Amino acid sequence: MSFEWLGLGALGLYLVGLFAVARIARRARRDETAADHFLAARDLGVFVLFLTLYATAYSGNSLLGYPGEAYRRGFSFIMATGFMMSIIVCFHALVPVLRPVASANGFVTPGDWIRHRFGREPGGRALLLGVAVLMTIALANFLLAQLTAMGHVSSQVTGGLVPFWLGVVGLAAVILYYETLGGMRAVAWTDAAQAILMLLGLAALLWWLLTSAGGMEAVTREIAAVRPDAVRVPDRTEQANWISTIVLLGLASVVYPQAIQRIYAARSGRALSRSLALMSFMPLATTLVVTLIGLAAIGHFGNLEGVEADMVMPRLLGSWAEAGPVSTIFAVVVFIGALAAIMSTADSVLLSLGSMLSEDLLDRPRSADSTAATGKWLAAVVLLGMVALALGPRFTLWHLIELKMELLIQCVPAFLLAARWSGLRARPAFFGLVAGTAIAIGGVWLGFERVGGIHMGVLSLLVNLCIAVAGSLAVRRGLESQQASS
Amino acid sequence: MEGGSADRAGMTRRRRARRLLLSVIGLLYVISIPWYREPGASPEIWFGFPDWVAVALACYVGVAVCNATAWWLTEVRDDDPDGAPR
Repeated sequence: MSFEWLGLGALGLYLVGLFAVARIARRARRDETAADHFLAARDLGVFVLFLTLYATAYSGNSLLGYPGEAYRRGFSFIMATGFMMSIIVCFHALVPVLRPVASANGFVTPGDWIRHRFGREPGGRALLLGVAVLMTIALANFLLAQLTAMGHVSSQVTGGLVPFWLGVVGLAAVILYYETLGGMRAVAWTDAAQAILMLLGLAALLWWLLTSAGGMEAVTREIAAVRPDAVRVPDRTEQANWISTIVLLGLASVVYPQAIQRIYAARSGRALSRSLALMSFMPLATTLVVTLIGLAAIGHFGNLEGVEADMVMPRLLGSWAEAGPVSTIFAVVVFIGALAAIMSTADSVLLSLGSMLSEDLLDRPRSADSTAATGKWLAAVVLLGMVALALGPRFTLWHLIELKMELLIQCVPAFLLAARWSGLRARPAFFGLVAGTAIAIGGVWLGFERVGGIHMGVLSLLVNLCIAVAGSLAVRRGLESQQASS
Repeated sequence: MEGGSADRAGMTRRRRARRLLLSVIGLLYVISIPWYREPGASPEIWFGFPDWVAVALACYVGVAVCNATAWWLTEVRDDDPDGAPR
């Protein structure tokens, strides 16, 4: 059987499996509440929680965007392993504070933390809206990246039998179906299966690349011959960017809405800490592997530029498939694993969008029967908009990641600082968020995305933090002087 | 009473170990970036990688081990309705 038809068959089989999981998850639901739909009734144990955290963290960006960026930048993109680890390190600042309060108060959305922490103090509602708007934009951007990646992979795995546009539209419809039907339970179960597929597939691909090239040293020597700059010690700007990227992705990823909701969805604090302990090793098993795949591609292909470089992974898989019948089967498994990873991230994003749009942005009461349904409809509308944008890919996947993080990182004071410093007040935090966002967006708009290698999002976070802290101290001093005078 | 104070001593030890591990992680991140090397220098190959990449990778393996241990030592409670920042 040819690669194209084998790919189409495997894709069909995978989709049938997804439908089956959605039906089973639907039957397993306990009630129609938002907590059951969006958080699987807060009953995710260590194993499923770990796999769903993993499948959500490693997405189309990781599988297509990271090899593409490693191909473009060379060995300095080894920083990716570091910044993916920094996410699990930064969780130390949030999880031990957020989890107990979320569990005791039945949180469902990220906004629940803002409501709880800032209560009815002046600026609390504005801060909630600001955070919800930024998170919604970041999630929509994330969804766009996943849809683009879905189109590329489905088209490649079927040798063009499924065109790019059909991959985007068709798979978006499939995600919408099983997410709407089965909620977080369906998403977590499919995530678990998808994570296993992804790990197996990536390990097989790296093994093939290294054995066919004659080992890692041969790969490095080949890169040094083809593109010497990719092997040399990076310059100071690239080193500054290395630090900046670790800070940007480490901090911003902690406030991913879908990550926060997995903190809520854990069966217990112990299950959560054990899952995060296991997650510490996953950058070595995934990010490092996809980085090496991107580096190995330098020797395989000439000069791919811009959006084209995001296709190094599918192209390598295409070459692998031609090596013989066994490798054809393995290549199809990797393709399906990649598709699974992309879809598992997209479904998590969609689920978070639904809950945030209805509860945080529109302020619909959780107890109302229509709230979860409203969330599903609104998420579907955003999905439709992103499908339209994805049909004409204009940005590299890495560029989409950076844009999303520059916005998300502005929410850090409202979560991390608020969790650790009782003096933080809502109004200064809101003004900090607005100023930080304006600087980040203005910088990107004017073409100053980085200053000396440092992301505009990181620099604007410093301004954001200064305003939040200085303003909070001023509010406290004002209150103290009021009390003293009365 | 003795059990209670033993628990508290154990918790303090875990908290200290966790802080130490987080400090080591910070140090490993600093070492992982080749700021101490001449930019543009041609590297030697160690274990199949350019030497500065091998150092970064060794640091990241260290970060993974320290971080996993720190999470293992972290007690995440389920019962704090106030969630007071600390």
